[in-house]
Amino acid sequence: MTAPPLQAKDYKSELKPIWCPGCGDFGVLQGLYRALASIGRPPHEVAFISGIGCSSRIPGYTTAYGFNTVHGRSLPIAQGVKLSNPELLVVVAGGDGDGFSIGGGHVPHAVRRNMDLTYLVMDNQVYGLTKGQLSPTSPKGLETVTSPLGSLEDPINPLLYMLAYGCGFVAQATPADMPGMAALIEDAIRYPGFSFVNIQSPCVTFGEEDQQLKAHKTKLKPLESLGHDPTDQLAAMDLARAYGTELYTGVFYKNPKPPPTYEALVKLRQAEQAKKARPRDRVLDAYLQK
Amino acid sequence: MTKQPVQQAPSVNFEAMTLKDAIDLAVLIEEEARDRYEELAAQLILHRTPAAANFFTKMVRIEELHRSQLLEQRRKQFGDQPVTVRREMIFDVEAPDYDEARMNMTQRQALEVALRSEQKAHKFFVSVLANVQNPEVRRLFEELCDEELEHQQLVKAEMAKLPPPGPHDHVDVGDGPAPQ
Repeated sequence: MTAPPLQAKDYKSELKPIWCPGCGDFGVLQGLYRALASIGRPPHEVAFISGIGCSSRIPGYTTAYGFNTVHGRSLPIAQGVKLSNPELLVVVAGGDGDGFSIGGGHVPHAVRRNMDLTYLVMDNQVYGLTKGQLSPTSPKGLETVTSPLGSLEDPINPLLYMLAYGCGFVAQATPADMPGMAALIEDAIRYPGFSFVNIQSPCVTFGEEDQQLKAHKTKLKPLESLGHDPTDQLAAMDLARAYGTELYTGVFYKNPKPPPTYEALVKLRQAEQAKKARPRDRVLDAYLQK
Repeated sequence: MTKQPVQQAPSVNFEAMTLKDAIDLAVLIEEEARDRYEELAAQLILHRTPAAANFFTKMVRIEELHRSQLLEQRRKQFGDQPVTVRREMIFDVEAPDYDEARMNMTQRQALEVALRSEQKAHKFFVSVLANVQNPEVRRLFEELCDEELEHQQLVKAEMAKLPPPGPHDHVDVGDGPAPQ
């Protein structure tokens, strides 16, 4: 007898989210459940790794394995998880501050190492959990408790940042388009290598009025409708420059010829080394220059 | 190891839809709405917004009632035949959008959420009817379409019983930025 197909509710834990009512992360979570149901890997074959922040609470709200780690360190820990059990489907989740400020130094190395991980950043342009300070993606001029006269800094552009580091899959979504977002998350998880989705998930409490989901619904522009070719890396970079002014959704770039993942290369190296391995009774010869 | 596609959620083909699939889809639409109201009620209970939470809890019971009526119809006509449509095939048909909920929202605002959701469901059935070929499916969707209109009237009648909106009802009184 075959098992019934998995449903979104199979990934939902008993723990009730404590996000503010109206938070964009509720929609992200729902889209994530649906993407996982569509992929069909059972919860015990999935692991969620997160850092610290509102969105980093996601592992607790799923029935999959989860590790709510330390601030900014989700990527190194996720790489350790993947390397120790390459069969696991590993999804990394967190906010813009966790990913691009505290954990910013880990991102380029995770990208260039190219493990088969999916990194979902819930970008709300503010530190919401700690009551609304400037974050690395806050727009210039934003007034917050740490910038009462308006921010003087330009924001980081997460899309351009990931493309420039050579990420093989870069996309942007918003919970204002739930079917589109779930499909993008699914596409990212299916990509064989490091994949990144920047999800514009507004903070209902500290976010700007024109950054809320109702505004997203009127201003989002699917890249597909612009005729963008997602295999064109330079065109992707050109479009990504509009981060902060235009809300493009969809796949910016998807490498049509994904290179082997780090874990696949490790496996090959291990197989090569195994061939050269000395028999057990000659292991000590390596130290005796024989 | 590369990620393997295991199963793919199929999309809905309304043109070739059978009555059994149409009823099952309607059941899922009610189920999705019930679950969403349940989630919104839980959020508002947690954030001490009892009047709106109570109304959403009432909506949970109403959506469950609609679902069980459709399930009964399904059982009579199709018995235990397997369900072939899936919840992943629909998105927020009658379920309120997540961003409709607000901390400290009033009962009137909660009713407005329900009204918008009924209007959204009506719009969905109207758009779907343009593609439906099967006369039995057409009849079912027309009935559901009419029911959505009736529900809108019921919500409006409930709203009329409430005291007029206060001057501060639309002021968001959630936490504002505060110095640490």
